[in-house]
Amino acid sequence: MVEAIALAHGWEMQRDALVVVIGQDVGANGGVFRATAGLQERFGKDRVQDTPLAEATIAGMSVGMATHGLKPVAEIQFMGFLYPALDQIVNHMSRMRNRTRGRLSCPVVMRMPHGGGIHAPEHHSESTETMLCHIPGIRVVCPSSPARAYGLLLAAIRDPDPVMFLEPVRLYRAMRQEVSDNGEALPLDRCFILREGSDLTMVTWGAMTMETLRAVAELDKRGISAELIDLATLSPIDIDTILESVAKTGRLLIVHEAARNVGVGAEVAALVAEHGLYDLQAPIRRVAGFDTIMPLFKLEHDYIPSVQRIIDAAELTFAD
Amino acid sequence: MAEAEIVEWHVKVGDHVRVDQPMVSVETAKAVVEVPAPFSGVVTALRGAPGDIVLTGAPLIEFDSGTVVGSMPATATEEFVESASVGNGRNHGSTRGRAVPAARALAKRLGVELASVQGGGRAGLITLDDVLQHANISATTNFAPTTNFAPATNGASASPGARAIAAAGPADGSVEPLRGVRRAMAQSMSLSRDQVAGSTVCDDADIHAWKQRGDYMLRLIRALIGAWHAEPALNAWYDSVTQSRILVAHIDLAIAVDTPGGLTIPVLRNIEQKTPDELRAAVAQQKDAAHRRSTSPADLRDFTLMLSNFGTLAGRYGIPLVVPPAVAILGAGKVRDDAVVVAGAVHAHRRMPLSLSFDHRCITGGEACRFLAAVITDLEKPD
Repeated sequence: MVEAIALAHGWEMQRDALVVVIGQDVGANGGVFRATAGLQERFGKDRVQDTPLAEATIAGMSVGMATHGLKPVAEIQFMGFLYPALDQIVNHMSRMRNRTRGRLSCPVVMRMPHGGGIHAPEHHSESTETMLCHIPGIRVVCPSSPARAYGLLLAAIRDPDPVMFLEPVRLYRAMRQEVSDNGEALPLDRCFILREGSDLTMVTWGAMTMETLRAVAELDKRGISAELIDLATLSPIDIDTILESVAKTGRLLIVHEAARNVGVGAEVAALVAEHGLYDLQAPIRRVAGFDTIMPLFKLEHDYIPSVQRIIDAAELTFAD
Repeated sequence: MAEAEIVEWHVKVGDHVRVDQPMVSVETAKAVVEVPAPFSGVVTALRGAPGDIVLTGAPLIEFDSGTVVGSMPATATEEFVESASVGNGRNHGSTRGRAVPAARALAKRLGVELASVQGGGRAGLITLDDVLQHANISATTNFAPTTNFAPATNGASASPGARAIAAAGPADGSVEPLRGVRRAMAQSMSLSRDQVAGSTVCDDADIHAWKQRGDYMLRLIRALIGAWHAEPALNAWYDSVTQSRILVAHIDLAIAVDTPGGLTIPVLRNIEQKTPDELRAAVAQQKDAAHRRSTSPADLRDFTLMLSNFGTLAGRYGIPLVVPPAVAILGAGKVRDDAVVVAGAVHAHRRMPLSLSFDHRCITGGEACRFLAAVITDLEKPD
């Protein structure tokens, strides 16, 4: 996936001279995970700029660049280090279009590794997408495969408004997938249906698609046909696709790595309760991380929902 | 200190080292110390050999850190294949019976097949009322729908009961779908459990003074009529939807009749206007009809009060169940000799144990107890 992200950067920088890449170590070093490898050599130090270790500055620079016509793609080294930048994101980036009544906009992409599973130290493994989803005026996108990382990153860079692009670290090198470097973007604000099924709708995003895909395969052996939906854009939510699936299956299971409390899964559940309650044949269930600090590496695989936890919850939706 | 001498490398180029793993021993002016790896990664170069002097702050080792933090082995060697389609997000149309969740739950409890319920809500939505109406029709007409005990095609969705029945072998007995009267009993008792806030009060009637033994049923009916005059609240219907009650101006008494087919509760109409002989005849006729399974549907509905004389079989007290929309049922247990205290002395008296259940949603404990007291007063009359 990390190579697909580098490819998307390269394609769009080649196509659009206004795209610039900024962040700590994105230039000479090629990024903490090599997501911007080779870009500085190819496009020069003006368009690929190393910044200080100062996330508020990175976000503030992005706002300044974007309001003056550039299209910055900024890398935050880990989602856990985003918080100094939130002031710029909440108070300026997200509301620039509204504040100027459409005169200025902020075509910024803030990329950041998301989630755990790679035995990293403290602050490097959290999934706090729900904090971003609560901010009006920005999109939050989380790809679940190399191909979607490529297509959705292109779409995010081309979008005229700010996009928070969460890259599941667990997927950076977890899978090989042929991605054609053809510059074709995938749609934002749309779910992706990864498996079609008739008995149970499962909604997930990011790295949890791996465990959920395995659970779907196991459930299939047990005679339960699950439909798997990758939310992909976490805000705004493509609720119509989910409602259509729930109308077909009558059951909903939401899987996410983030803590349960006020997670994005709660919003999905609430929307389905508001608009699809009468289609449900069983209570909506969630499998999520626990409402604790994300543990260090010895316990992180107990925190991240396992295939077994997903299967158990799926079967529970048939027990009532 | 400004410099140190490399004593020994513990890692070589290509090694995957983990954070804090001893990397190299260096000798400073004071001691030989181990230098731990500052982070995990693959060693790409060692800057210096044993014996070399390295300056503090000069590069000592190089990592390829695809990952500066954490470990991220490439786990998959095979191609990741997926077939994703973009959600089309069009307006959805339901392909299954849509039902209010509470209606779905009630249908399950009552054993009502949702597919057979006609939805009366907007766009065919099945509401609570639809399920209740469907269940009432079933309960009062001895309606016996075909029952299918074949295991559900989807094993995971079968109830524990269905799974147990599906797993039963010949030694466990034969599978017997509930039909007719027994099925109606299952439905009306489920309805009772789901709706009624039941409460039961028990006492005994001292019937020692009775001039003639025997017709308990007749005396119980007379006592109920007397109690109704004293406390009319228990002869009523309660509508839980509108939360309103009707105090009925006559008594249609349902009597519980035990038959091999199941519990039947035929109704004696207008008992307050009937003579003892008429009542005796009506009771006999309904019992007979129940045993011959010829009770007409019209004789099974619209009762205002219920009576179960279960003591003719066994049992002292019980917790009779009220079947809505009625609000009360009196149960009479087995008559026996009790040691009772009369004027300071113990005597043996015949006593009839009584259990009065009432729907506490619309009847107060005071009303129920006054009613029971009036029943006892009437029963304790010599004739």
